[in-house]
Amino acid sequence: MSERVVLESAPDMVRMLSGSMVRGAVRKVSGRHPQVLPDRVVELSMAEDAGRLATYARVCGFAVRDLVPATWIHVQAFPLQLALLSAPDSPFSLAGIVHVTNSMSLLRPVSVGERLRLTSSYGPPREHRRGVLVDMIGEAYVGDELVWRGVSAYLVRGGSLPGMLPEQQPDGVVLPSDVEVAADAVWRLPAGLGRQYAAVSGDFNPIHLNPLAARAFGFPRTIIHGMWTHARVLAALEPRLPDTYRMDVRFTKPILLPSSVRFGAERTGDTWTSVVRPRSGEKSHLVASVLPL
Amino acid sequence: MTDRTAVVVGGNRIPFARAHTAYRRATNVDMLTAAIDGLAARYGLAGHRVGEVVGGAVLKHSRDFNLTREAVLGSSLDAHTPACDVQQACATGLEATIYIANKIRLGQIDDGIAGGADSVSDAPMAVSDGLRRALITANAAKTLPARLKALSAIRPADLVPDPPGITEPRTGLSMGEHQALTTTRWGITRQAQDELALASHLNLARAWADGFFDDLVTPYLGVTKDQGVRADSTLEKLGALKPVFGRGEGATMTAGNSTGFFDGASVAYLADADYATEHHLPALARVVDVEVAASDYTLGGEDLLLAPTYAIARLLARQGLSWQDFDYYEIHEAFAATVLSTLQALGDETYCRERLGLDSALGEIDRSKLNVNGSSLAAGHPFAATGGRIVPTLAKLLHQRGTVDGRPARGLVSICAAGGQGAVAILEAC
Repeated sequence: MSERVVLESAPDMVRMLSGSMVRGAVRKVSGRHPQVLPDRVVELSMAEDAGRLATYARVCGFAVRDLVPATWIHVQAFPLQLALLSAPDSPFSLAGIVHVTNSMSLLRPVSVGERLRLTSSYGPPREHRRGVLVDMIGEAYVGDELVWRGVSAYLVRGGSLPGMLPEQQPDGVVLPSDVEVAADAVWRLPAGLGRQYAAVSGDFNPIHLNPLAARAFGFPRTIIHGMWTHARVLAALEPRLPDTYRMDVRFTKPILLPSSVRFGAERTGDTWTSVVRPRSGEKSHLVASVLPL
Repeated sequence: MTDRTAVVVGGNRIPFARAHTAYRRATNVDMLTAAIDGLAARYGLAGHRVGEVVGGAVLKHSRDFNLTREAVLGSSLDAHTPACDVQQACATGLEATIYIANKIRLGQIDDGIAGGADSVSDAPMAVSDGLRRALITANAAKTLPARLKALSAIRPADLVPDPPGITEPRTGLSMGEHQALTTTRWGITRQAQDELALASHLNLARAWADGFFDDLVTPYLGVTKDQGVRADSTLEKLGALKPVFGRGEGATMTAGNSTGFFDGASVAYLADADYATEHHLPALARVVDVEVAASDYTLGGEDLLLAPTYAIARLLARQGLSWQDFDYYEIHEAFAATVLSTLQALGDETYCRERLGLDSALGEIDRSKLNVNGSSLAAGHPFAATGGRIVPTLAKLLHQRGTVDGRPARGLVSICAAGGQGAVAILEAC
């Protein structure tokens, strides 16, 4: 039986982020850290903030609609992921973990006025050639009805955990690191986009905000949140999507700010496959597939 | 080709919200997209290539030059659906309807969507002419000194932004000030204005309570009903308000009997009658005829908001109808006094002879047929969205009524607009 932690209000993300980074640094020195994923479900009930959703829509390119995009629910659930990842008994710190894939399903249309009950928990760890993949499973309920489910896979480099499953799991993200899709539309990402997205998403990871911090983590400049790019792709496709869909994303290369990138999408049968590439260059930043449910 | 009939299939709008409230973060594109998507959901138009979509906004950002096409691209309609923008101030939505109806009747399209959106909350704010010229000159300058010289022309006063104009450029008067002149000229009393405003609120509240708008409105951003409607309004409450337009004896126009600032969007769906039958679409009412007119309010001594009287006179003559031949009158309530002075002018012998060139006055109408389910005073008046509110409302009323004395129920829409213009249309029940 999992431990159930019900939060009264959204946790302070900046504090969790900084606490986890400090803890990571301490552990690096001490070499000691927990070896298992806590069996815990974090839960939070919340009303959506229509004003914040409108700003989110503006920053990511969505129309301000009555129904919310799937990525918005991920944004709502993200503090719960952080609460798990930044807990003292988390086997790793937030510094240095890499978001590699995301999969989310909007199971029924969710309107901006609905009160959501969000949960987050760890899935079983998976093997990866460069470490261990940790799945964070998010669920959103209206009453007792599951309306959204998301799985975010993070790579912990060099890590290893007991009970690891093979990397490829049924129903997992099967996207390759690139797809043959023409990408002709140009998106211009301004230097301040990371700050804009941080303000509306609450993800104040310094690699998105400050060039010096970005350099400390090995990036020449700040990078945009992968979830912004994810949302931007969804925003581009949204007019063509039905009310319920599953979107899988593989984050293949960070996008430095400022920059221009290219986007393209193709439909095969019911499935949209899309890609974001550098303005000049071929190696993808992100590949995604969306299929109606 | 000439025997084609344009029918109103239905409509959709978002509830109209008071400016700076629920829709303050939404743009015209957002709201128009929401209105189109709701319509598409209602009539199964997702993925359908509509003949054309026409719409507009009065308070329009320059970046929204393709407002309607952008809304189409953001909607569930087939991306092959073409669109164009029109603008005729408050008559935008009705002019858009006329455009679509005409194309349908000419056989150029089988179906079309007409509408509009307006946001006071997200109104464009321009930079001053001084700043704009300096920036354009600096941008065009080829050398740094030339650029700096251009920028040095900017004066502190140039930094004051330029909000959208609310006055008629040629008279310097706001619409309310213009109407106040008309109100005084026609001797419209405060009592009459407040009574009309009260009727608008009570009629709209009853229509909402009866579920009349259930298939005409889609909730948006948590708003499920027009925010302006006051079911508990009374003549006492309206009578307590201070006048905001007019002077002395003529100061009769208040915030209660004038429309306030609202955000909203609306669309009407029209189709060729045969096309509607083949596609199992309802046909509520056919567009019989339309007329647009203008008044010489700048130097001709005419009234800014009485242009519809010219359109009505010409339209009745062309159709061989009398002013009393209608079962419903939908006269846009820019101000209560606009409706009342329109009715009074049409009943005035001198006005009808001298201004409208008629042999005699058009006469009085049965006031119980006027704005029976409320109008702009209660629903709110997001400028370009009013036509797309009234047309489907009237079409549904006519369809529900069916026939009167063995002929199809007949209705008239009249909308006055800035610039001394007015658009009028006659619809008949299907």
